[in-house]
Amino acid sequence: MLELKNLTVHYGHKRVVHDVDLTLAPGQTLGLAGESGSGKSTLAMSVLRLLPKTARVDGEILLDGEDVRTMAWGRLRAVRWASASVVFQGAMHSLNPVHRVGDQIAEPIRLHGTTGSVADLLDQVELPGDKARAYPHELSGGQKQRVMIAMALACGPRLVIADEPTTALDVVVQAQVLAVLQRLVAEQDLGLLMISHDLSVLAETCDDLAVMQAGEIVERGRTREVIANPRHPHTAALTAAFPVIGDPAHRWADPRPTPPPLLQVRDLRVNYGRTRAVDGVDLTVGHGEIVALVGQSGSGKTTLARTIMGLRTPSSGRVIFDGSEVPRGGRALKAVRRQVQLVLQDPSSALNPRHRVFDAVAEALRVHGLREDEEALVTAAVERAELRPASLYLDALPHELSGGQQQRVVIAGALVLGPRLLVADEPVASLDASVRGEIVALLLRLRTELGLASLIITHDLGLAWQIADRVAVMHQGKIVEQGSVEEVLLTPSHDYTRALVRAVPRV
Amino acid sequence: MRLAGRFGGAALSLLMVAVLGFFLFRVVPGDPVVSMTRGRPSTEALQAELRAQFGLDRPLHEQFWSYLTSLLHGDLGTSFTFRRPVAEVILERLGPTLLLVGTSTLIAVLLGLWLGVRAAWRRDSAFDRVTTGVSLTLWAVPTFWLGMLLMVVTGDLFPSRGMRDTDTAPDFVSQALDVGHHLVLPSITLVAVVCAEYVLVMRSSLLQEMHAPYLTTARAKGLRDDLVRTRHAVPNAVLPAITLVFLRFGLVVAGAITTETVFSWPGLGLLFYDALTGPDYFLLQGLLVVTAGAVVVMNLLADLLHGVLDPRVRVG
Repeated sequence: MLELKNLTVHYGHKRVVHDVDLTLAPGQTLGLAGESGSGKSTLAMSVLRLLPKTARVDGEILLDGEDVRTMAWGRLRAVRWASASVVFQGAMHSLNPVHRVGDQIAEPIRLHGTTGSVADLLDQVELPGDKARAYPHELSGGQKQRVMIAMALACGPRLVIADEPTTALDVVVQAQVLAVLQRLVAEQDLGLLMISHDLSVLAETCDDLAVMQAGEIVERGRTREVIANPRHPHTAALTAAFPVIGDPAHRWADPRPTPPPLLQVRDLRVNYGRTRAVDGVDLTVGHGEIVALVGQSGSGKTTLARTIMGLRTPSSGRVIFDGSEVPRGGRALKAVRRQVQLVLQDPSSALNPRHRVFDAVAEALRVHGLREDEEALVTAAVERAELRPASLYLDALPHELSGGQQQRVVIAGALVLGPRLLVADEPVASLDASVRGEIVALLLRLRTELGLASLIITHDLGLAWQIADRVAVMHQGKIVEQGSVEEVLLTPSHDYTRALVRAVPRV
Repeated sequence: MRLAGRFGGAALSLLMVAVLGFFLFRVVPGDPVVSMTRGRPSTEALQAELRAQFGLDRPLHEQFWSYLTSLLHGDLGTSFTFRRPVAEVILERLGPTLLLVGTSTLIAVLLGLWLGVRAAWRRDSAFDRVTTGVSLTLWAVPTFWLGMLLMVVTGDLFPSRGMRDTDTAPDFVSQALDVGHHLVLPSITLVAVVCAEYVLVMRSSLLQEMHAPYLTTARAKGLRDDLVRTRHAVPNAVLPAITLVFLRFGLVVAGAITTETVFSWPGLGLLFYDALTGPDYFLLQGLLVVTAGAVVVMNLLADLLHGVLDPRVRVG
């Protein structure tokens, strides 16, 4: 059905896909794994000739025996969506914000004159029919991704290309969306080409697997065999980077006795108008302890973190740091903030694109009026974050750095004030598998060397297994379960924790 | 709630406009009666009479109160130069201004948005370069100079003064043709000068949407390029331009001072010029209230329309 022969794609002189051969039979499911920049998305977009004009495509792309590269425009438009359709990544931006989703699903049906009804399609992806009248911003992330799947199936294509269809969704929603996709692919005997950086997602969905690195396919085979016995070192690195919950080899934090408390949260409540975002939370982080706060988006974990940082005033309850209550404002709050620092999720947006590394790191010093030894302090912080030698990086602008290096700059900016607690909001969610491991190792080393405690907010249970001493599970504003990592993740006692653990895709 | 908030905000702005209109012309240095009668023979008695006539001899708070109450009844005071109610003078000039500036703004908006869309869609093409280049040049040219240049270049082809000839037959068709004939040069001048603004706003707004992932979705569905543009890109890209367009519509009643002066067009712009040379304080005050009020109302309309066009800001 789909056959790629010697496919090579250049952008200018840069070769992003090199000499790729791939075949996909009807009803076959093929996973394409790789890190960002490996060329996997370029490869997928080339199938429907959706690459920008600057791309030069060589080789053959045969769709049902016809070469997409040489098709006339009219023929190409007829083939698009009717023969092969795409579930794009980031449904938030891939749906047009000013049109109702029902109209967007119906658009290709009218265009290609096929039969199909929006209500049936929505029903297939388990959405109620009245959602057709909704605009994209009125739907949740999972619902939007279901709309994308319904849209992809609108003209009854035989091939569906899914480009990171569940990235940015949290585990429970991801599991639901994958289940819908898997069921429809099996029911309608579709060919599926699924692209992801997450091997565990591909392992759940695809029978066959191809691994891409730097534009080339370095390994392919049956998914199970490839993951169980990786032959190429890159495949091995990818499989190792995703922690398996329960596997001692992926448990990087060494066991230690419970330390005396550094941060204590007592019966904390935070209201947004009438909704209670945080509802009676008790939480303790000890000196040098790493605590993972896990939960779905909307569970209140980010509000809790902001309240701990003193960025939000609690409606009731107390936050105690190092024995004394965190004040609600003024000079005393500023003094506490020096000791509690925040690391944000996406380094590329957390860093000001026009500030050099030196200024980005020195900013906190300037805010706190610590102008002496600025250079020495900044250099020390940058080296602590393992950007060595610091002199190589101080003058760089964020766009000159890789994603992992950018996250190290963010961490250096937090370290420069010599804090005792880091609050990290999804610190590795936007990073590639290989870089992710390095950042996790860095956070652990900072704990060993500086005695730095961390509260890590994440929906990634694998990260909690890798790094944390204790886990607190948050659901609808309440902590439903907390305890040691082994207790909570291996023998969960609360129903919600069990559901979370079950939703994690298994390799 | 948010809808009520917007109306409330507009009402508050209108009140501020009224207050500002009153005090702005009271804090300017100099006695208005002295300025009004400057260069003309006047006596103490005449000046006192003028003061009484315009109510300037009463305490400030009384003046303010009577100003506000008459404003609510649509009474803007009496013009010194015209010796007639300000509201009447303004209303009389409103028609010609709406005709000239309204038509020109409408043409400039439609032409500018269309050119902007075309230019952005074929970025860096010859069409794009010529469009942005020409509109920027015209934007930079002084209005009076362009107007005079047009008069010289077109010679006797189009009339260059006033709105109608005195000897035109009184029937509607002849009158309309005559006004249309007079309208050509000033409206070309106005369109040429302001068009660039819409071209550039529309162009940059569409360029920002050009790489939006939902356009890739639309292409992947098999849509023709022009459908991708008109159905998906433009409805999103036009949103930022709406506010600008309506602000400009609000300024239509301010007239176009330079253009109307150059072509002696009997509109509000020319009236502004006359009121300033007077200086005719009550007329200026009335003009300020009317034009600022129009901007506030148009801005409110822009907000409401934005809500209709963009479901994300739709108000309940």
